Amino acid sequence: MAGLIPDSKSYLGARLAVLRSTQNSDGGWGYFAGKSSWLEPTAYAALALAGEPAADRAWKLLSSWQLPDGSWKPSAEVQVSSWGTSLCATIAMVRNEWGQPLENGVKWLVGSRGVESNWLNVTAARLRLVKQERDVSLKCWPWKPGNSGWVEPTVHALVALKQASAKLSSSELRSRVQMGEAQLVDVRSRDGGWNYGSPAALGVDLPSYPETTALALVALQGRNDLSNDLGKAFDLARRQMGETPSPMARAWLTIAMRLHGVKPEELSGDPQSDLMITGLEALAAPEGNYRCMQTAGALRE
Amino acid sequence: MSKLPLAGQTSAVVVVKAASYSKDLADAMLRGILECELDVAGKTVLLKPNFVEFDPNTCINTDVAVVATALEVFRSLGAAEVKIGEGPGHRRDTLAIAELTRYRSEIPSFDEVFVDLNRDDVSGVKGFAGRDEFYFPNSVLSADIIVSLAKMKTHHWAGATLSMKNFFGLVPGSIYGWPKNELHYIGIDTAIAELTREFGPKSFALVDGIVGMEGNGPIQGTRKQAGVLVMGSDLAAVDATCCRIMGIDPARLAYLQKAADQLGVIEESRIEQRGEAIAGLRTNFELIKEFSHLRSA
Repeated sequence: MAGLIPDSKSYLGARLAVLRSTQNSDGGWGYFAGKSSWLEPTAYAALALAGEPAADRAWKLLSSWQLPDGSWKPSAEVQVSSWGTSLCATIAMVRNEWGQPLENGVKWLVGSRGVESNWLNVTAARLRLVKQERDVSLKCWPWKPGNSGWVEPTVHALVALKQASAKLSSSELRSRVQMGEAQLVDVRSRDGGWNYGSPAALGVDLPSYPETTALALVALQGRNDLSNDLGKAFDLARRQMGETPSPMARAWLTIAMRLHGVKPEELSGDPQSDLMITGLEALAAPEGNYRCMQTAGALRE
Repeated sequence: MSKLPLAGQTSAVVVVKAASYSKDLADAMLRGILECELDVAGKTVLLKPNFVEFDPNTCINTDVAVVATALEVFRSLGAAEVKIGEGPGHRRDTLAIAELTRYRSEIPSFDEVFVDLNRDDVSGVKGFAGRDEFYFPNSVLSADIIVSLAKMKTHHWAGATLSMKNFFGLVPGSIYGWPKNELHYIGIDTAIAELTREFGPKSFALVDGIVGMEGNGPIQGTRKQAGVLVMGSDLAAVDATCCRIMGIDPARLAYLQKAADQLGVIEESRIEQRGEAIAGLRTNFELIKEFSHLRSA
C-alpha cells in the first residue's frame, strides 16, 4: 500500500520516520520506544508501514504469536487470547494472506462473545427478572475471553469480519456482524455518541467519549440506512475534535471521518512519544493507510 | 516497613487535618508520614494516584496538589527514586487524562516520572485470585514501596473506594481491557482484597480526603469536604478509619470484611489513632440507596 515515501518533514513522513527508527529487533514495537513489543502498537505500525520491509518483519513476529485456537496473544510474555486477534486478521487481509492462519483467526472471532450474552442472562432479561442497561441478547466482543463485551473490541472485530466476508463468508459470520452492528446501535449514548460499553450505569446516562464515538463510526461504515441518524454523531465528533486533548481520540475521529467521506480538520503537530498513537496518527493522515480499516459494502459482495 | 499485624496487635493510622490544597500541604503530609514511622530512604517509590476518569464538574481524581506534594515529600525523605504510575480504568489515552487533571502541567517533568500502568511491560504472578497466572506491570512489581494516593469517595459497586480499591489501577488494560473487567468477574470485593494481599505488604496508604466525593461515586458523585489526609501502612486500617470519617460502618463493607484480620485490622479498638481524633471529624457522606445499609450509628 505504500506509495512514494513521504517527506520526513510532513505530518505523515515524520510519523513514519519515528516508526521506522523505533522498531524493535524482534520486528515489533512497544507502546513506547525501548520497551518490549506488544501486539497493539505493532499492528498499527504494521498497517501504517504496509508494503515496507518493516511491516514484513512486524508480521513475521505477529504470526509467531498466533495461538493454537486461532486467536492471538498480546505479547510474547502474555499467554492470554486477545481482542488484538481482530487487528491481526485485518493485517493478514491487507497483505492478501487468506490462508489457514487467517481462517483460524476469523473462526475464533466468530465464536467469541461477551459472557453477558449467556443463556441465563438473556432469559432473565426476557422475563424481566433483572433490569439491563442494554440488550444482552445482542452478542458483542470482549477484550479477552471470559469478560463482558465492550465497544472497542467489538469495533475491531466488526471491521475484521466485514473485511473477511469478502472471501470467508458464512451465515454465522453474517449473523455476528449484523448482531454486532445492532449491539453498537443499542448501546449508543443519549448524546448521540458512544461511551465505552453502556449508555447508562445504574439508570444514570453516561456521556460519550470521542475515541469510542469515532471507533463506533468506523464499525458502522456502509450502514447507509443509519446515515441520517449518524449525522448527529458526526456533529458531536466535530465538536469533540475541537475539545479533546487526546491525540489518540483525534486520530480515530479523523480516521472515522475519512472512512465516511466526511472532510476532517487536518491534524498537525509533532509525533508523540507514544508509539501506538504515532501509528494511529500515521494511519489518519490524508495519504495514510486509513483505508486498511475500510469495510463499506463488504457484506454486499 | 511495618506490616500485617499479628493477632492482638494494633495498626497505626494517622489523620491530619488539611482544610485546603494549600502550601501547608507538604507540612501536613510530612508530619503524617513521620508519625507513621515510614522509612523510604534509598527505596524506589511508586505513587499511585486515582485518575480513573475526568469530569470538570466534580472531583474524581486525587488532587494534583496532593500528587505533586507527595512527589516532593518522598524525595525529601531520601527515596532513591519516586515515580508516578496509574492505569486509568475507562479511558485509553492516559496522558490526555493526565492533562485534563492538570498533572502534566503542574507536576514538574511529569512525563519523565510517569508510568502508564495500562501499557507498561508486564510479568506473570502465580496464584492471584485463584488464576494460574495474572499479569502486573513491571514498575509495580519492582517498586520497593507503593503509595496508594487514593481519593476518599463513595463507590456505586463497592460502597467506598479508598486506598485498597485504588489498586484496580495497577492492573494492565493492555491485557484486561478498559475497564478491567476481569476484576469484576473475580468479584469486586474479592479483587480488592486480593490486590491488597498481593501488594499490601509493600504499600503505604495516603488518602486525599480534603475534598472527597459522595453519592453516586466514583465518577458521577458530588464534592464533599472532609478536610483530612489519612495515612498508614495497614491499608485496611486506613480504609476503616476513612469509613468512620465518612459515616460508614467499615464492618458492613464487604471488601473490608474480607480483609479483616487476614490483611489488616478494621476494629476501632485495634487501630492506634495518631494525629487528629476522628470523633470530631465525622462528616456523613451521602450514600446511594443500594448502600444505605452501610451508614454507621
